[in-house]
Amino acid sequence: MIERGTILKIYILQRLISLIPVLLFVAVVVFFIIHLTPGDPAAVMLGADASPAEVEALRQELGLDRPIIQQFFSWFGGLFTGDLGTSIFLKAPVFELFVDHLGPTLSLSVLAQGFAMLIAIPMGIVAAKRRGTVIDQTFMVVSLLGISLPGFLLALLLSLIFAVQLGWLPAAGYRAMDTGLWQHFKYLIMPAAALGFIQASLIARMTRSSMLDVLSMNYIKTARAKGVKDIVIVYKHALRNAFIPILTVIGQTFGNLIAGTVVIESVFSIPGVGQLLVQSIISRDYAVLQGVVLLIAASYVLINLIVDLLYGVVDPRVRLSRRS
Amino acid sequence: MKRKSSYIVTLLLLFSVALFGCSSNNSNAPAAAETEITPGGTLRIAFGVLPTSLDPHLTTANAITHTARQIFESLVTLNSKYEVVPMLAESFESSEDGKTVTFKLRKGIQFHNGKEMKAEDVIASMEKWQEGATAKANLGNSTWEAADEYTVILHVETPSFLLMYTLAELQQFPAIMPKEVIEGADAAGVKEYIGTGPFKFVEMRPNQYLHFSKFEEYKPLTTPADGMSGEKIAYFDDIYYYAVPDDSTKVNGLISGEYDFVPVIPLDALPQIENNDDISKILYPFGLQTLIFNKKEGVLANADIRKAVNMALDKTALMSASFTGPEYYRLDPGLMLSEQISWYTDAGRENYEAYDPEQAKQLLAEAGYNGEPVRILTAREYYTLYNSAVAAQQMLEEIGMNVQLEVIDWPTLLERRTKPDQYEMFFTGFPASATPLQYPFLDSKTEWPGWTNSSVIDSYLAEIKAAQTQEQAHAAFVKLQEAFWDENPVLVIGHYLQVTASTNKLKGFVDFHGPLLWNTHLEN
Repeated sequence: MIERGTILKIYILQRLISLIPVLLFVAVVVFFIIHLTPGDPAAVMLGADASPAEVEALRQELGLDRPIIQQFFSWFGGLFTGDLGTSIFLKAPVFELFVDHLGPTLSLSVLAQGFAMLIAIPMGIVAAKRRGTVIDQTFMVVSLLGISLPGFLLALLLSLIFAVQLGWLPAAGYRAMDTGLWQHFKYLIMPAAALGFIQASLIARMTRSSMLDVLSMNYIKTARAKGVKDIVIVYKHALRNAFIPILTVIGQTFGNLIAGTVVIESVFSIPGVGQLLVQSIISRDYAVLQGVVLLIAASYVLINLIVDLLYGVVDPRVRLSRRS
Repeated sequence: MKRKSSYIVTLLLLFSVALFGCSSNNSNAPAAAETEITPGGTLRIAFGVLPTSLDPHLTTANAITHTARQIFESLVTLNSKYEVVPMLAESFESSEDGKTVTFKLRKGIQFHNGKEMKAEDVIASMEKWQEGATAKANLGNSTWEAADEYTVILHVETPSFLLMYTLAELQQFPAIMPKEVIEGADAAGVKEYIGTGPFKFVEMRPNQYLHFSKFEEYKPLTTPADGMSGEKIAYFDDIYYYAVPDDSTKVNGLISGEYDFVPVIPLDALPQIENNDDISKILYPFGLQTLIFNKKEGVLANADIRKAVNMALDKTALMSASFTGPEYYRLDPGLMLSEQISWYTDAGRENYEAYDPEQAKQLLAEAGYNGEPVRILTAREYYTLYNSAVAAQQMLEEIGMNVQLEVIDWPTLLERRTKPDQYEMFFTGFPASATPLQYPFLDSKTEWPGWTNSSVIDSYLAEIKAAQTQEQAHAAFVKLQEAFWDENPVLVIGHYLQVTASTNKLKGFVDFHGPLLWNTHLEN
């Protein structure tokens, strides 16, 4: 019989190998979409008053006049040596820029996800337990509002209330962790709340529906008949069984957070991956755009892998099915 | 005999432009020198998108010139009356035939890296700057020579009284940098930002901030501060330009005290600013709102159809759509601002004011317009341009034109406007230039999008270049502007003002074609 640890390693290896075609596909698609989109980094670099002759001269110097296939293989070849290219605007390697911008995004995402889980899971459980009551309906209306409300609007409303009117929190900006933990969090509270509220709505709805399924099962009824305390039924027996779909949503929303903080980062001026991406689109910084999209795709696949592995931790049946 | 310290006296007489011009003082702020000032502190600016380079030789982009001017200086510059005055040069004098200009350099001027500025640095810097389009167009193949360590001679290819204006350019300006820095530059500009200005570059964190600090060894001039010239005293220890791409966030941040200064306030946020007692707004005339026609291909190559478009457009409505109220714009046919009195003319006003949709309809029919599509390129990133484009579409449809508004992003627009088969017109803005020669849309040789190709305008441009006095140049310019409004290669829709806002604690602030952060401080 194969050891459980070995099975897990093979499983992880298989998933990592499956990452390769995904990334190759993303690399090819991203490169050609970006290069076939109108816009020219040389024109952006030289400004609106530059003459066509100047723009053309800079294009030549930057190698942008080379045939697109030649440019593709030059970039693609670099990927195999771990070279994602260098930003012509920011004059730094793309990987370095990504890592530099990942810190703020990760801090924001973790905080937003924590905030979302903290309010969404209890909200979903209470709504399921009190199905059909005013509490259930109120929670579901709030979560519907969260899904429907555009992120930027919520962000601006929070900013108007807590920064402009009350003056409790800074309106925008970012402070790295080395300036102090409170400074760091102070600047992230509002953006994390704005982002987390939207994610919380999705998680709360999934928690409610998953809990409703489980709470109507026979073994719960049996437990109730045996006189097991309500709190034990909900948190020990029901929640654990209901957690697989919740975990999936949490994984998906966290994946979305890494790439989806664009709007919130812009509104709150947080120098994260979203901002890097937006600026690279505006300036047509091809190397950054290609590299960052590729790295986001890789992060997304890796987060999904981690979520898959967590299924086994949460649910022993998944471990058994993998073994068989 | 040589003409002493050159053009100053002549230009003093010729270029007497009102101080108000493109400069503006913070009305709530007493001049720095009048009060007891405690140096120090940090100025926090909500800047928008940070520049990706600080090399002012590279581009006319405001994001670069408005930041780079705090750390770099040039040989000569402009005072608030638009006179050319020395900055890093101690003096300059022109030979009688105008074929050489000799610059005596100030001694003991240090770069931010501690090296003393000498002739070799000046020559390396000027030669690199001269590769740029505007400099090339005005200086041609003029050459630079070091007479000694502190004397530089410019051998001029074609003498012109406008030459010194080119050297005192504020956009894409000839910043002096160490020779070694220039040698390390590539197509994307210099790799180190080392100048001689009152502030020095510390760090640029992409999408986060740009940090300057006080240059302690700065040696200010002793003449009074005036425009870009004179005594510059750095009061701030640090200046941070924060990347704040969202306009509402800039305003919220200013109100909540997160930032001290916002260089450009969106007009729709003005009520918020005006209702706040702790914030001052500063208005200053800034530039031209223009409509550029494609004259190489398509129906707008026909001058009569362009004339019909001019008559169909209600310029008051267009400017209101973009700049909200008359406080923020002026209806003016001038290519130069009215403050630039040595150049300003309203020649062509009758054509500028020829709004008559009925006659436009008739003219359109006579010109043989037959429903061909007219594409207006626009981008939402610049709402003042976008709003004008939307309003223009409606006005042109009312006279029977088949108008298609093509909304794309700004970089795409920058590329598409260089292709004659891709559009018929687009709106854009131009900051006021020190001379009309610097507008790229007049000269057929620039091949700038829209491709103005008028032998009449070209001949007046040549006349301005060859003029020996401002009067001669002005006379030629008046004729040029008349021809401009006869042929309509481009329409000037009006002049717009820009709004800056700051906390009331900011004192001594002056704007002159962009913010001047020396001689400015924050009151405790």
